[in-house]
Amino acid sequence: MSKKSFVSISALLGLACVYGFIWPFHEGKFELADKPKNNSEKSLEEALLELGDDKAIHYLGAFDPDSAKMGEEMVKFGRIQDGSNKRISKFFVCTDCHNIQPESADPGDESPEAVLEYGMQNDVPFLPASTFYGMYNKKHWYNGDYDKKYGELVAPTRDTLENAIQLCAVQCSQGRPMERWEIRAVLHYYKSLEIQVSDLNFTDAELDEFERLVASNKEQALEMLRTKYNPINDAKFASTDLPEIEGYQPILAHGEYIYNAGCLHCHAVGREITNFDLMDDKLSYKFLAKRIHDHSTFAVPYITRKGTYAVSGRRQYMPQYSLQKMSQEQMLDLVAFIMSKAKE
Amino acid sequence: MKNLLSLITLLLLFQPSFGQDSVEEELEVNKTVDYSNFVYESWAGTRVLNNHSTEMLPWRNLEFIVAHKFGDIAGDAGGVYNFYGLDNVADVRIAFEYGFRDNINVGLGRSKGVGVTTQVIDSYFKYRVLRQEVEGMPLSLTYVGSAVLPYKRADLDSSSAGSYQKFTHRLGFTNQLLIGRKFHERFTAQLNVGVNHRNYVADLDENTLFFAGASGRFRINKWLGIVGEYNHVFNRPVEMVHTNSLSFGIELLTGGHNFTLIFSNSKGLNENIFLNQTTSNWLDGQFRFGFSINRRFKL
Repeated sequence: MSKKSFVSISALLGLACVYGFIWPFHEGKFELADKPKNNSEKSLEEALLELGDDKAIHYLGAFDPDSAKMGEEMVKFGRIQDGSNKRISKFFVCTDCHNIQPESADPGDESPEAVLEYGMQNDVPFLPASTFYGMYNKKHWYNGDYDKKYGELVAPTRDTLENAIQLCAVQCSQGRPMERWEIRAVLHYYKSLEIQVSDLNFTDAELDEFERLVASNKEQALEMLRTKYNPINDAKFASTDLPEIEGYQPILAHGEYIYNAGCLHCHAVGREITNFDLMDDKLSYKFLAKRIHDHSTFAVPYITRKGTYAVSGRRQYMPQYSLQKMSQEQMLDLVAFIMSKAKE
Repeated sequence: MKNLLSLITLLLLFQPSFGQDSVEEELEVNKTVDYSNFVYESWAGTRVLNNHSTEMLPWRNLEFIVAHKFGDIAGDAGGVYNFYGLDNVADVRIAFEYGFRDNINVGLGRSKGVGVTTQVIDSYFKYRVLRQEVEGMPLSLTYVGSAVLPYKRADLDSSSAGSYQKFTHRLGFTNQLLIGRKFHERFTAQLNVGVNHRNYVADLDENTLFFAGASGRFRINKWLGIVGEYNHVFNRPVEMVHTNSLSFGIELLTGGHNFTLIFSNSKGLNENIFLNQTTSNWLDGQFRFGFSINRRFKL
């Protein structure tokens, strides 16, 4: 090798090394590979896998922010903003029924009471479907009584998130089947909304215990971690009758929140989600109050618990609130609020 | 026929092409507007009774309208022998209207027509200039421009207004401004002022008529309301037997569907017809029943 060639090759290699060092910083992706993460800095999936949990069927090897952005646009607007795909549904977008933020202070407690308390404090819509925050960390979907509504269609969705997304697109939003790349993009978006270990409700003592178990007994640590979040969204449909709870005194403030953050989320005029418009006005309250005891789609307990079904010519329908999304006490709160406003 | 097709194309083409905007622009429109501050449901639909209201079809909504008016309920032509007018159809209109934007609507319809203006295609362009707000703008202001084209055979009698010596003789236009305000959750009022022009009229008639009107709506409850509408033509020649249109109605809202029951002395279902072809008089029992069924679809 001539001296000139040796110098040239050395210079090129040197440049390549320098570029190779700078490049990861330039892209904003550089991480020291050997820097250990605290357990609380990890995502829930990361922690579960490290403790020996099985990979989910929808496990994504690597997170892709670009795909997540596309998924986010499909969730919020029904399609990608650059026009590269068609609207999934002309009737709904995902955020009409699903939140994209936490619905409760503790991911291990998604009871309607916890959701209402957190929602009132943080101005979160009170919606009938599960939030997409932590959806990636669930293990089962369309559980419980959803087979009463969708029949055998729910079978392939119960353990596979991709199938659940597809069922939601075609049935729940009354739209078109999503293509595989679109579902993958939504999955990446879900991944961006997954639960972090730091979000879980550990006391200091529990966290110490958890750290100790991680070092000494991964199996027990895994069991402990699993108790800190809710891997299943159960659904039990309630009677359409107005509930009777002896001695219960309805809380009007709760009813007001459910009406504003729940009913009006879709029914407020101008939202254009439904054909049946409601407002914070006397006409609306009187209309609803008069029909509280009816067995019709205009009776609050009936429509809230049963919803409606998509029919030809009227594809927009109302999903129902299961007992896991609205308790019987909250139903009484809502009814009491409507009755009180109608009488004002 | 060739001329007819050309004009239909022309009527459609004069509507601006707002469907070409990018998705980003469409989404941007929704993102930047504070929808919660607008006043909604001023009127049950895009029409008061016969005439337009300040209400608009929202973006991407298509409305299908079927409207009928029957014969006189009372008077010489009414009564039990015509089953109070139901045996005589005065006018029928079928139309499609579409919201290109929340503030831009277009419509295309066909009606039987009245008097010399029969077998009619109509088209309109509607633009909301101002929108009433809860805090801020106190009223809504809307412009409506409409055109009609009677496609019937020209009358052989050259003295008739329907003899149509030239193709352009068939055309009629109305331009009007609607100013409305919802004063209360139960009460809305609207004033309208405009000009109606027909290219070819009878000897004693005026080509250009100036008019103004007033409308009101009182909601009894969430699904039932009472509506009234009056339009006065200022410069109608005294020789003409025509009268001003006065109508009352009941609206029934069912969510998605909007039914309106109309009692009116005018037969026409379009402003280019009822303004200049109304000859009936309420005091002579010459009023009729009509109805309109509107069904809205989301596209």
